[in-house]
Formats: sequence, structure tokens, C-alpha cells
Amino acid sequence: MTLNSILTVDDDEGDLFICSYTIRKFDPNIKVLKALNGREALDVLHTTTPDAIILDINMPIMNGFEFLDRYAIEFERHAPVVAMLTSSHLAADRERAMRYNFVKSYFEKPLTPENLRIMASLLDEDEKARGVANSE
Amino acid sequence: MQSDATWEPLSICAGGVSMLVGAAVMGLWLSEPAALAAQFPMMFVMQFNTSICFVLSGLSLALMHSAYSRWSALLSGVVVAFAVAILIQHFLKTDLGIDRLLITPFMQSGTAPAGRMAANTAFCLILINASILLTLRIGRNSHIRLLFAGLVFMIAASAQIGHLLNATTTQDWLPLSRMSAQTSISFMALSIGLIFSRPEDLGYQRTMMGAFLAAATYLLLVLLTYFEFMRQETLFTEELPASEAGNARSTLIAILLFSGIAYAFLILYALRTAQRQRAAARDLSESQMRFAAIIDTAVDGFITIDDQGKILSVNPACERIFGYKAAEMMSQNVKMLMPEPYRHEHDQYIRNYHRTSRPRIIGIGREVEGRRKDGSTFPLDLSVAKVNLGHQVLYSGIVRDISERKRHERQILEANAELEEFSYRTSHDLRSPIASSIGMIAIVQDMIEDGVSPKDLKPVLERIDKSFRKLDSLIQNIILLTRVKVLEETETPIAVAKVVNDTVERLRYIDTEQKTHIHIDVPSALTIHKKASRFQIIIDNLLSNALKYRDPGEDRPEVRILARKENGEFVLSVVDNGLGIQEQDEQQLFQMFRRFHPQQAYGSGLGLYILKKSAEHLGGSVSFHRRKKGSQFTVTLPDGSRK
Repeated sequence: MTLNSILTVDDDEGDLFICSYTIRKFDPNIKVLKALNGREALDVLHTTTPDAIILDINMPIMNGFEFLDRYAIEFERHAPVVAMLTSSHLAADRERAMRYNFVKSYFEKPLTPENLRIMASLLDEDEKARGVANSE
Repeated sequence: MQSDATWEPLSICAGGVSMLVGAAVMGLWLSEPAALAAQFPMMFVMQFNTSICFVLSGLSLALMHSAYSRWSALLSGVVVAFAVAILIQHFLKTDLGIDRLLITPFMQSGTAPAGRMAANTAFCLILINASILLTLRIGRNSHIRLLFAGLVFMIAASAQIGHLLNATTTQDWLPLSRMSAQTSISFMALSIGLIFSRPEDLGYQRTMMGAFLAAATYLLLVLLTYFEFMRQETLFTEELPASEAGNARSTLIAILLFSGIAYAFLILYALRTAQRQRAAARDLSESQMRFAAIIDTAVDGFITIDDQGKILSVNPACERIFGYKAAEMMSQNVKMLMPEPYRHEHDQYIRNYHRTSRPRIIGIGREVEGRRKDGSTFPLDLSVAKVNLGHQVLYSGIVRDISERKRHERQILEANAELEEFSYRTSHDLRSPIASSIGMIAIVQDMIEDGVSPKDLKPVLERIDKSFRKLDSLIQNIILLTRVKVLEETETPIAVAKVVNDTVERLRYIDTEQKTHIHIDVPSALTIHKKASRFQIIIDNLLSNALKYRDPGEDRPEVRILARKENGEFVLSVVDNGLGIQEQDEQQLFQMFRRFHPQQAYGSGLGLYILKKSAEHLGGSVSFHRRKKGSQFTVTLPDGSRK
């Protein structure tokens, strides 16, 4: 299976534009959902579960980490691939993010097609693992 | 002259003895008891004149150290003059008519003309009174006084010993000591009074002088005994029978000699010991004084308590640290210096320690809390040592008020945290627009390759432009922040109304719809003395926020600017009916990189932080009040114009 839908969470409209352009270029069939902060993202997730989430850290109202806390507690079913996308690569932030088992990857802005390829393969791995678990 | 109160009575007592004896003899002569005189002629050996001299000399000695020392000089002067006249009579064998000056003796005693004082008596009286006069003249004790008084004592003592031993030799051998018992007693008293009062003037100790005098007297006794013995021998005209080992005389001499030597050694030993003890006591008191000086001037507080917690001593630093006077702390329980819960636990803790001997603080030292007299508490460093004195166990504590240190620590930690936050946020916020631009430039390149028309490229290029403007704005703010912190600037008078009006004109463009009503309520004469550029930063921030975060849905957006002087403070308020701040965000309002309305307008998140820092830099503060609709920011600055 391939990526069908991706939720992008970022307060910067420029960055949201880059994400949606890159995703469309990568695969025009992917449905792109947008949220400007963690709270909006939670609202979206209450209605649907995308295949992947691309999450910024520094956002007003509810930042990336606050969102991850709530997402871990309030949701039983998580998006198979959650990738962090931040403007600066800080080891402490990366460690903190990777502590959540549903966070699979950590990218630096801007988003590239290569990042999306990695996400797609992570989704494949996840499905295979799930398939094995189901057949047993 | 500094008086030595403990020994002052000595010269009074000595003078008193002399006066008593003199007065008694005077009484005898005046009452003329013929029967008594016939039976005990010895009682009338001292002449009437002599007895008067003893009364005068005794009085003079008694007054010597008192406030009436002038009388003392007069008395002694009279006695000396009289005694000198007597001596002249003796040597020139004349009669100056002073022998029977006051009374005519009813009987004659001795060999001299009736009523005439003996030459040796006159000599001794001169020595005694000359000593008194000398003392009065130079104002302190002297070696000459010691010598004179010592001589008189030896003469009187040998006369007295002669009387006691009933040895007439004394008087034959030493014509000076041919003296009646009452005369010699008076002289002994007078000379002792002179020798033993005020020895500290010469740096001598009384015990030492006493020992010397005793030794000298003892040697005198030995000598006199020996001579008396010899005389007895010649009376018998034969030697005592000799034994094999020698004769009795040699034995006696040996005993006398050895006892004399032993006595001398004992005295020397006693002297050495006394000297050493004195030196040790001096060293001890010196070292005590040194320690006392160190403790009294120490910055740290020193407290000693007993095993029940009762305060035994405190140093001046404790007064400063705890605010109590030393007298208020003494004998109180040390609990008084502790806040709860230490105050309650202390008794229990002391009991536990006595039972288990397991210390929680002794010898370790730790941070605890102290309580001042006014009830305030403060952190203090406490170290306690146990002092075992044998008969008593004491605990000595050293306390140091570390509230200042703690405050600095906290400030450094806060500054450090702020700095970390700053570097974290700048690293993110500075790179964010650059990353966006890189991404969008890649998109532009991609679009060009796809043959997209230049017209369709425009929106993307505008996004790139916006990104860079954001970056520029952030950098400007960071520069501003640095300026707030480091810029050197002097205070100048600021016309507040003008600054506000100019700023409103300059920033009006922010309100793109030009709908906002701006009310300025600032007295035109209002002037404050402040650093102008910092004041401008404050006004800029308040106004741009009020204009930027207006409520787009509001029909009648308003901004009200008020400035006043109240209770010596300058108060500036900016009130709006804009978007306001949500209650949960209020705590983070003045922190770095906080954005509350990112959709409304771009902000670096530094504005209110810069505002707060600027107000604090000018010695003031900034506060926020949430209104039913909108916000009110109030900046309060100390009024600098009164300087």
C-alpha cells in the first residue's frame, strides 16, 4: 500500500505551502490535510486517521510536544507514521520526540521528496509487521 | 594617680597602728600615773614628743594615697623638721629647747635629757616621712622609698627580735636598734605600709617582696641568735663541751645555716613558680583577648549553647544577623532563633541526640533556616561543634546568613535559563525563514523546469520575500534587545505628550483599515527624566501591539493612552478593545518568544519581553490587566524629574 493521506501541522503558511507542493509533486493522489497548531491537529484527528503526520515543534497555542502528549493519551489508534519536521536540528528535541513509539522519523526543514520516500517505506514496514502480526 | 582599691586599706591600717600606739603613749604621759611609772618604767621609754610624731606620721601615711594628700605633706614635713632638729641636738650636744616643747615630763626615762627623743628614733622617723614626701613629690612609688622603708623595717625588726629573745646584744651591737618595743612596733607598721602599698608602680609583686622581706628578717634572726649565743658563751668563759663529731656550737651553726639555705631555696622556688604562673596567666589572657577580638569582629555569628539549648554566649555578628540585642538572646533557648518546624523539633532532637549520641548536624554543617526578631526567616549555613569541657558539654555554632548568596544563585540560574531559552529559540526562529526560503526557491526552480509562466511564479516569490522580511524583523528585534541590555545612555528630560503623538503618527500605518480611534490623554506639560531611547522602546511596543492586535470583527476599535504622575511615580497605561490575552496565556505573557495571535500578524515573540526589560532597566515595572474586551498594559516608572 502507498501513502493515501498526510496531515501537515505547522503554524507557518509558507511551510505548509512547501509541504503541500512537495507532496503533490511526489504523488498527486495523496490527500493533504492541514492544521496550524496542535489543537487544530487534534480536532482533525478526531474525525480521521491519516497514514502519516508531518509535525512542526514550535507553534503557538499548542506546540508539537504538547500535541504528542495529548495524542499519546487521548488516542488509542495512531497514524502509522508520525514524522517531526523542524527548522533546526537539536539533539535534545530529537531524543524527546523519538521517545513516543509512534514517532518514526525526524526531518529538518524544508521537506524534500526524499523525506516522503522514507515515510512511504516506513509505512510499508509498518504494514508488513502488522500483516505478520495478524496472520499469526 | 590610679588607685589600687584592694590594697588601699593597707596604708590606712599601718598608719592606724602607728597612730594608736602614739595616742596610747600620749595618754600615758598626760595622765601621769606615777604608780604605774614606778612599776613599769619600760612603758615610758617612748617620749611624749616621739608619740606625737608617730601620730602625725601614721596620719600622714593613711592620707598619702587619698584625696587629702596635701595634709599628708604638711604632717610629714613637720615631723621631718622636728626629727632633724633632734639629730642636730644629738650631734652638736646642744639643747634647742624642743625636748620639753609641749609638756614637762613628770619622770625621766633612759639616759638622755628628760623628754629627748632617741637619735635612732629620729633617724627612722626622717626615713619614713622622707619616703612619704618623696612619694607625694614624684606621684608614685620609688626604689628609694623601698630602700628607706626596708631599712627602717630591719632596724625595727632587730629591735623587736632583741626584745623577744631578751638579747641585750642587739642593742649594744647595733646602737640603731636600741629602741622600745612600742617604738619598734610602730616603725614596723609604718615601714610595712610603705613597702607593700603600690608595688605595681615598680613592677613588683607583693608576694615576691614579702618573700624577700621574710628572708631578710630570717637572716637577721639567725645572725642575732648567733651573736647572742656567742655572748652567752663568753659569759660562761668556757666553750660548750666538745663531742667526737664536733661541738654543740658547730651543730647549732650547721642547723641554722642549713635551715637558712633551705628557707632561701624554698623562697626562690616559690618566686620562680609565681613568676611562671604569672607569665602563663598573661599568655592565656592575651590569647583569650586575641580570640575574643577575632570572634567579636567576625562576619559570621558565633553562638555557644549548653546541652539543654540555653544560649551561653553570642558575638556581635549574631545581633546583626538575628536582629536581637545580645542581652535578649543570653540565657534564652536557642529555639528562639529558629522558625517552625525546627523550633518544635529542636527539643526532641536534643533529646534524641542525648539518647543515641547520633548527630544530625554536629560536625557536619548544613543549610537551615533562621528566624529574625521581626519574624522573617532566612537561609543560613550552620556548623556545630561539640566542646567537651569535662564538667560540662557545650555546643558552639557558627552561623552565616546566606540569603544574599541564595538570591544571587537564583538570579544566575534564572539568567542562565533565560539565556538557554534565548539560544534555543533563536536557533529555531532564525533558521525557520531561511529553511522556508530554501524550500520555496527549490519549488521555483522546479516550476521553471516545468515551464510554468512567470506570472504563476509570482505568489511563490512573494512568499520568499515575506520569509526574508520575517527574518529581518526578528534580527531587528534581537538587535533591539541587545541594545536594551548594553546601551549606555544618560537621562534627559522627555516631553511625554510629544513622544506619544509622534509615535502615534509614525505607527498609524499598522492599522491598515485606518478605523482605530486613538485617544491621547497626556497632560501637555508632563515631563520625566529618563533614558530617551528606552522610553521610546516602551511607547513603540505598547502602541504597535495595540494597533496590530486589534479585533478585525470590532466595529469601533479603540486605543486609549493615559499618562499621569501619581504618588511620585510616572504611570502610563495603554488600553484597547482588541483581541486581548487568554487567561491561560497570561503567565507566559512577558516571556521570550511567545506569540499569542500568530494568525493576526507576524511577531517575533520578543516585543513584550523587550518591553518588560526596558521598564525594569528604568527602575520600573509593567503589568497587564485583562479587560472584558481587550487589554490594558500599565508601565510604572519612578519619577526621575525630582532629582
